[in-house]
Amino acid sequence: MLPRRWFAVVVLVAVAVVSAGCRNRSRSGQPSNDLLIVGYDREPDTLNRFSTHILEDIQTCIVEGLTTTDEQMRVVPLLATEVPTIDNGGVRLRGDGGMDVIWKLQPGVTWHDGTPFTSADVKFTVDAINGPEYNPESTDGFDRISSVDTPDRLTAVVHYREIYAPYDIQFIRGALPRHILQGRDIDRAQDYNRNPLGTGPYHVVEWKSGEYILLERVAHYWRGDGYPKIRRLLFKFIPNTNTRINQLKNGEVHVVALAPWDKYREMTAVPSIVVAKTPGNAYEHVTLNERQFPPFADVRVRRALISALDREGYTRTILDGLAPVAHGPIQPVSWAYSDRIARYRFDPAKARALLDEAGWKVGGDGIRARNGQRLAFTLITQAGFAIRESVAQAIERQLRDVGVDVTVELHDGTAISAIWFEGRFEAMLHWWQMPSDPELTTFFAADRTPPAGRNINYFRDEALTQLLYASDRTVDRAARIQLLARAQAIIADAVPEIPLYSVTRLDAVPTTLVNFKGNPTNTGIFWNVHEWAIAR
Amino acid sequence: MTPLPRFLVRRFVHAVPLLLLVSVLVFLLIHAAPGGPLAIYLANPNVRPADIERLRRALGLDRPLWQQYWTWLWAFVQGDWGYSFSDGRPVAARIVERMPATFELVAVSLAGALVLTMPAGVGAAVARGRWIDRVVTTASMIGVAIPAFWFGLLLQMIFAVSLGWLPSSGRATPGGADAIDHLQHLVLPAAVLAIVLASGWSRFLRGSMIQTLAHPFIVATRARGLPPPRVVLRHALRNALGPLIALVTVDAALLVSGAVVTESVFAWPGLGSLFTEALARRDYTVLMALLMLSAAAVVVFNFLGDLAHAVIDPRVPAA
Repeated sequence: MLPRRWFAVVVLVAVAVVSAGCRNRSRSGQPSNDLLIVGYDREPDTLNRFSTHILEDIQTCIVEGLTTTDEQMRVVPLLATEVPTIDNGGVRLRGDGGMDVIWKLQPGVTWHDGTPFTSADVKFTVDAINGPEYNPESTDGFDRISSVDTPDRLTAVVHYREIYAPYDIQFIRGALPRHILQGRDIDRAQDYNRNPLGTGPYHVVEWKSGEYILLERVAHYWRGDGYPKIRRLLFKFIPNTNTRINQLKNGEVHVVALAPWDKYREMTAVPSIVVAKTPGNAYEHVTLNERQFPPFADVRVRRALISALDREGYTRTILDGLAPVAHGPIQPVSWAYSDRIARYRFDPAKARALLDEAGWKVGGDGIRARNGQRLAFTLITQAGFAIRESVAQAIERQLRDVGVDVTVELHDGTAISAIWFEGRFEAMLHWWQMPSDPELTTFFAADRTPPAGRNINYFRDEALTQLLYASDRTVDRAARIQLLARAQAIIADAVPEIPLYSVTRLDAVPTTLVNFKGNPTNTGIFWNVHEWAIAR
Repeated sequence: MTPLPRFLVRRFVHAVPLLLLVSVLVFLLIHAAPGGPLAIYLANPNVRPADIERLRRALGLDRPLWQQYWTWLWAFVQGDWGYSFSDGRPVAARIVERMPATFELVAVSLAGALVLTMPAGVGAAVARGRWIDRVVTTASMIGVAIPAFWFGLLLQMIFAVSLGWLPSSGRATPGGADAIDHLQHLVLPAAVLAIVLASGWSRFLRGSMIQTLAHPFIVATRARGLPPPRVVLRHALRNALGPLIALVTVDAALLVSGAVVTESVFAWPGLGSLFTEALARRDYTVLMALLMLSAAAVVVFNFLGDLAHAVIDPRVPAA
């Protein structure tokens, strides 16, 4: 019988293919001091820290800054001997309103090719970024530098035209090697951009596009031949989240940085993995765009909206207890955080009363209206984040309970960036990742609405604006804390946006990994990778 | 000139205006998508409007759209595909380095799909209404209905996570890759593609075979006493293959420009994952080159399909 014979052939072929493929495969290797494998969600565009527009985890292992931020978000020296301050004489305020910052460099540091790392590299970096030829991602801060002097090989004096408060993280991305890049088109210097020369514990051995980047420890790291402890780091690019978590379970990767919260329980079930939770410096919130939806300009409406949302409930249920409620743009991990601010409890009765008071009366369809306008707006958010989509639905539901009609719209990440930059939306659910220096000015100053900044609430408060600019022009930490505490009180009182929760960072690492410290900022978890080791 | 080259020349001359039209449409479409290559920079609050303006000028995105198109087209036809907006490398280099992975995956999956399709489609048609037919029909319905990404994750869970027989993704174990390791990485993504393709194809072949088997000439060959295998394979199958070839060539043309979903699920470093990445970053130059290659592949594969049809069925003229 023909069909049966064919059927047999098919079965035979299938068995042959599967058995050839399935040569009894032992589980992939455990993490060791020879090799640690990191499952990474995306491939970097470039390893040039000044050009890239995505996280710099891989670069951090190769190129070191003059300073970095530690697990508690403190700015600590790296290639500098200390963080310059007024007290240690490293910062001088000039009579003309400008300031000088004196960076003292660690002696004995060399680039990976053996060339000494000197103040000339710092000067070259500033000149390249401010020059017309090179197109870095951002020139923020650098454009306020008038010049750099190099009195000796280990001293760089940076002259600012005006006071620049976050000067201490100006060189967190390190420096460009002058002897390699001088006179070249840096945008097209692929030898450097794909395999940067740094001073860090690792260098690039291989970058296989679409697959991985393999790093290996450098021969003589400046901290001593005892560092780094792990010989090779392999960053595998696995864009699909489920696949990345499957690889983690399977032992094909050992570390997943910035793991999604909805995978938390799945990951904690893997015995060889511990999920480190780092209180973050980002906060999820709802931006209320007063320009696009004028009813948001009434503070009673904004207070009603925040009172109508059970934020504690969201963190308990949707967020599985992983994140605490946020009450403002500055999170407890920051030195500038103040808890002496107004807090809003879940209180739908108060929300209804405030909306009544503001003249928004419930209509026949259950939705409030005033002068013929319904209290109805569109909330946009980025598609593909399960938790965020659930939070959006909860907001929609709870605001409807007090008579506000919300329509949720999902957009892809690229589209949302453009919409956000131009302020073309009514309300948006998203987060900011704040740098270690809490720069609120671009988000809240009255004159920083798009295109001049990121005040996409279009919120205008003169007192707040003055406080924020005063903070930007103050170097003294204690004085800034005072100014920013007052700014936080004004923001909490006026509710220009609805803070929801403080973003906790989840990083899945092997239980055997020692000296893992985590990091709440964009500096990322690899800032102390030279200390990492696998306990036997 | 012999007839075949003239025929070839005519086919490709006809393809030129088609490809030009495609290039205009595709160019307009990708520029109409919200956000642009710079949108991704906007997520960083330290990137200021002045930075965006500076980058826009540097990338030539400040010029009128027709000018951007013309510059792109003029360079493209001369073989200069430009530089990627995302990583600054030549577009041609980015595409060429991804080709082997896609070609390997597609070749193996197509072969696998054909191996599955032939017996399944023919068997189901011959045994119409019996258990083989019901098994094939049900299996192919499931195969057509299952989304490829979900099916891929399912196979990963079973064969990589639970059984530990196969690697879950990637093309090779970095560093120590031998031929067996390579083959192991290929099994799951190729199986997903082959099964999904074979599901559609075998249903198609079954229908086409049933029609052919009902033709009077088949009845005539049977009446003349030809053995049933000869009737089915030599006479019916040859006639039923024509429509299937058309389907296979269209699928193959789309696949050689990247199996977008499967490649993403399995982190397969081919043209499909390059496309996904370029789309997310609105990397216009890479997207244009990939889409033009895709269009060209459709033209070429259609031509190859016509040739194959003509070889199998002498009644079909090569033109």
